[in-house]
Amino acid sequence: MTTLATDVARMAEPDAGVSDDRPELRKSVAGTGLLVRFVLRRDRIRLLLWFAGIVGLVVVTAASIAGLYKTPEQLASYARTVRGNSALIVQAGPGYGLDNPTTGAVMMNELSVWTILAISLLSVFMMIRHTRAQEESEQAELIRAAPVGRHAPLAAALVATAIADLVVAAGCAATLIFYGLSATGSIAFGSSVFGAGLVFAGVAAVAAQAASGSRAALGLGSAVIGAAYVVRAIGDVGNGVLSWFSPIGWAQSIRAFADERWWVLVLPLFATATLVSIAVALQGRRDFGAGLTAQRPGAAAAGPRLSSPLGLAIRLQRASVVGWTVGLGLIAFFYGIVADQAESILEDNPEMKDFFAQLGQGSITDAFLSMSVLVMALMATGFTISSVLRLRAEEMAGRTDALLATPVERRRLGLSHLAVAIGGTVAIMTICGLLLGAGFALVSADAGQVVRMAVAAVVMVPAMLVFAGLAFALYGFSPRWSPIVWAAFVWALVAGMLASVLNLPDRVLDLSPFQHVPALPADSMAWPPVVALLAVAAALMALGLWALDRRDMS
Amino acid sequence: MLADWEGTTKGSVMSTTVNVAPAISISGLVKTFGSTRALDGLDLEVAVGEVHGFLGPNGAGKTVTIRVLLGLLRTDGGTARLLGGDPWVDAVELHRRIAYVPGDVNLWPNLSGGETIDLLARLRGGVDQRKRDDLVERLALDPRKKCRAYSKGNRQKVALIAGLASDAELLLLDEPTSGLDPLMESVFQDCILEATREGRTVLLSSHILAEVEKLCDRVTIIRQGRAVQSGTLDDLRSLTRTNITAATDRPIVGLDGLDGVHNVRFDEGHVHFDVDGAALDGAIRHLSSFGIHSLVSQPPTLEELFLRHYGDELAAMNGAERGVT
Ligand SMILES: Nc1ncnc2c1ncn2[C@@H]1O[C@H](COP(=O)(O)OP(=O)(O)O)[C@@H](O)[C@H]1O
Ligand SMILES: [Mg+2]
Repeated sequence: MTTLATDVARMAEPDAGVSDDRPELRKSVAGTGLLVRFVLRRDRIRLLLWFAGIVGLVVVTAASIAGLYKTPEQLASYARTVRGNSALIVQAGPGYGLDNPTTGAVMMNELSVWTILAISLLSVFMMIRHTRAQEESEQAELIRAAPVGRHAPLAAALVATAIADLVVAAGCAATLIFYGLSATGSIAFGSSVFGAGLVFAGVAAVAAQAASGSRAALGLGSAVIGAAYVVRAIGDVGNGVLSWFSPIGWAQSIRAFADERWWVLVLPLFATATLVSIAVALQGRRDFGAGLTAQRPGAAAAGPRLSSPLGLAIRLQRASVVGWTVGLGLIAFFYGIVADQAESILEDNPEMKDFFAQLGQGSITDAFLSMSVLVMALMATGFTISSVLRLRAEEMAGRTDALLATPVERRRLGLSHLAVAIGGTVAIMTICGLLLGAGFALVSADAGQVVRMAVAAVVMVPAMLVFAGLAFALYGFSPRWSPIVWAAFVWALVAGMLASVLNLPDRVLDLSPFQHVPALPADSMAWPPVVALLAVAAALMALGLWALDRRDMS
Repeated sequence: MLADWEGTTKGSVMSTTVNVAPAISISGLVKTFGSTRALDGLDLEVAVGEVHGFLGPNGAGKTVTIRVLLGLLRTDGGTARLLGGDPWVDAVELHRRIAYVPGDVNLWPNLSGGETIDLLARLRGGVDQRKRDDLVERLALDPRKKCRAYSKGNRQKVALIAGLASDAELLLLDEPTSGLDPLMESVFQDCILEATREGRTVLLSSHILAEVEKLCDRVTIIRQGRAVQSGTLDDLRSLTRTNITAATDRPIVGLDGLDGVHNVRFDEGHVHFDVDGAALDGAIRHLSSFGIHSLVSQPPTLEELFLRHYGDELAAMNGAERGVT
């Protein structure tokens, strides 16, 4: 707030404004420069995390591929198993350059689609946050009262997002160059990532005008990303025409490391320009704080379920539970379908085979399934933690006082969201397990896999609950510091996914709860660690309750 | 420091409530946040059945006091009693008997106003449907709108309806009208008067003086976490100077010499002066010995009362003492 106030004050200075003789358009974006700086400063931590996340993904993939595929034979074997495998094409893209595979081409097949999706999400989140969500905050009034042009906030969000995209894309390209890949290919990859970021910034700009509120705008922007992914997936397995209707398809059609087609870059630039003009036109036509589509009215009276803290917690979190279940469930189903190919993918790659063999005594297919269960559990832990930390968000937003001023005990309020976190975690893992099993049952014609995988997934829950407990205990002591739990989560991710690459000592790895759960189906069931993890989780939750009863509410 | 006239404030309100424990009784309350002393020995007493104004500039500690009473904050010293119980230990039982309307109303963006009102009422033990619908209509709230779409004033209405529709004995209202338009403010005032007729007690934190003057039996003025004055409005006025303009048959002499008389000025046969509440009687007797034929007296407004207590702050802010009294 202090920095905002300073900025607003600075905008009020005469030289920051725009004199009357400038043309209309210039006037409508007056103050953009200051707003850009304000946006970037406000988001500096957030952007640092995005940068670390996306570039980190590139670093990790580049490191592991450089280690796994060293010889032309290994590259060729990779290409043999991947090419023509529809399941993998749907997931990752057409695999340009795999007919004559280079490390760069393999890297693109493994990496490009995820990087593009990540930067698209970055663009959408950042744009909505600084346009529509900003309008709904109290600060908007302050900014509007300052002499900034009508389109300045939108222009500033666009410029700031473009800068963020550019920095991330440059980081990705630099990483590949650092790992010894050709500069041309690396820059082509960076450009494709940047282009996708720009297009989705434009998409978000339009969504911010059209939607009825910031959450709806976020949903709309994310839905367009999803649609772009699906459209290119259908195009890539078909004759490729549809892929030209998807910004993600364009990004891959630049063909980094496979005879680059630079002219394709015109498409994202043209699309961005078009989308921005649409957004500007729409902005001129709507009221501040309102969308083009009206807000759907809610119920005039509360339904019967909305009468307890638990009922409220369910209501507040149900959309998130459904979203996570659908998203992770689809991924799980996908893993199930490709599971029987694991054996052939790994056949010619002894190191990868060793890696999977370490996971358990079972077959490579079982090892792959165990790995899939672990990956889903790690991702779903993101839900578990954010669901517990909803308590923090509610308290920070000042919505807890009104509840605690009624005869509701603090522990009851705390337990309500904790219950949703636990229930949601069990539901997500059960459904992911069932879908993983269903996918695998389809390709292996063995219906018994469905229950087997569901059990394997549910066995992960105690480790996930340790994170719920940790988040809750931290919240109990201090809502401000409770996000520290994310550091523990990142640690578990590193330990779970990169243990063999990083060569860390066992004692350090053992800090992650996931090191202790039996990796079904490759391992056999072991009860002691499961019970121990549950006990740790329960103890942490009890500690959180104890602390919550004793502190000031903020 | 409480002014020394505090012992003389047992007005009509107190005489009817002998033997009844006060609804709120705070003494020597201290609350610190790090190095900030938000409450610094606060005293506050609210009798059952009264509307008590709780006045103070921004940052004086009004909200912190109310949050202590709600058991949301621990105290660092002093005592606080609420309806005969301990606000921290007995929070849940006490909350069945109170309703709270915050100043900064934050609501769940994707719940409608109607849903929010019902939720809060149910958590308190049930909805008085007739009262709820009546309030929704009188305050002209559209209960179907999502809270995200409400303006500040409308969010405040939601919180007010949830609080007023309850059967709470004690209403804790923290600047409840700061976003309401004048029309809605008068509806709010009617609602508070109805609540007192039903025998409820109200603690009304505010810095809208006209509202406090209209509604409150007694007021406490706080500043920097300490009560600087407390009493009925009349008591407070008696502490402040009344402005008198008079005309007499014979020329006045000796008025300047009286204790408690200030700023004596003569013009066109009139005399103007300010007189302390305690010296009013003497001053008027003195005047009448010269044969009064016209007299206008203006009681001090709450504004003046308020300014008297914050005047030095204002002066410091303006960098110079202003020419008043
Ligand atoms: N949670 C908190 N942490 C730190 N300081 C606080 C907190 N709550 C209130 N304060 C400080 O206590 C003082 C009193 O604030 P408050 O009671 O909100 O004033 P008001 O009379 O305007 O309601 C202010 O200086 C404020 O900054
Ligand atoms: Mg306040």
